[in-house]
Amino acid sequence: MQMTRKTVGTTLGLLAPVVAIATVVLWFRMNSAIGIPEDRTIWIVFSLLAIVMSVASFVIGTRWFGGVAAVVAIFPALLLPATIAISKQQVAEQAIKVGDTIPYFVAVDDQGKRFTSDALAGTPVLIKFFRAHW
Amino acid sequence: MRRWSDELQGEFEARGLKVVTISTDYPEEIRKRRGAHRLQATMLSDRNLGVTDAFGLRNEGIHSGPVGEGEAEALPVPTTLLVDKNGVVLWMDQAENYQRRSGPEVVLAAMQQYLDTGG
Repeated sequence: MQMTRKTVGTTLGLLAPVVAIATVVLWFRMNSAIGIPEDRTIWIVFSLLAIVMSVASFVIGTRWFGGVAAVVAIFPALLLPATIAISKQQVAEQAIKVGDTIPYFVAVDDQGKRFTSDALAGTPVLIKFFRAHW
Repeated sequence: MRRWSDELQGEFEARGLKVVTISTDYPEEIRKRRGAHRLQATMLSDRNLGVTDAFGLRNEGIHSGPVGEGEAEALPVPTTLLVDKNGVVLWMDQAENYQRRSGPEVVLAAMQQYLDTGG
């Protein structure tokens, strides 16, 4: 009985990183192919499943290699929940909205030349703010 | 990453629309990456967030960009604005979550809805 219990724990521990890593790999593949899926529940569920498996392997009891695998699994399993948690954005109350007139602004362009928003008068404009570095 | 701009270049030209991009990158960083975009756009550097703040688009939540000496102190919330010739905002699309952004089909639909009706 003790042996089978330990076998179950070890198996869970060994499978945990497989689930965690597969989830992360699939997530990144999907993102590069078609963009971020709207509903991310399933990804979170699998990440949490990997964590539950890790914890369960310790609770049930595991051989050392099952334990090592279970600990390793925690890191990829936490990656998605963590990035989703920090990716919420907040803007100030006075943020621009539909119907507002855009403010006058001055900046430098990619040639280092001064640019003022006067240059945009008289034509429709698409303005895109984006995050740097990627 | 998908290049929304490549697909839309013709659509922009057909409507006489100017494209302005704003990021906190230095001009030389923008220049270096410009080859990757075939977009004919004015690409502005807003290192001190002056433009971002004028629009009220500074991300006041946590951002995952690099921090420290020489890095921008904050980042804008990724936002796409469609502005008419009088400077009035017709449409905007904002990512509440920065992992999402306006795809080309969303931008195209907005142009068709707001610019092509003559309104």
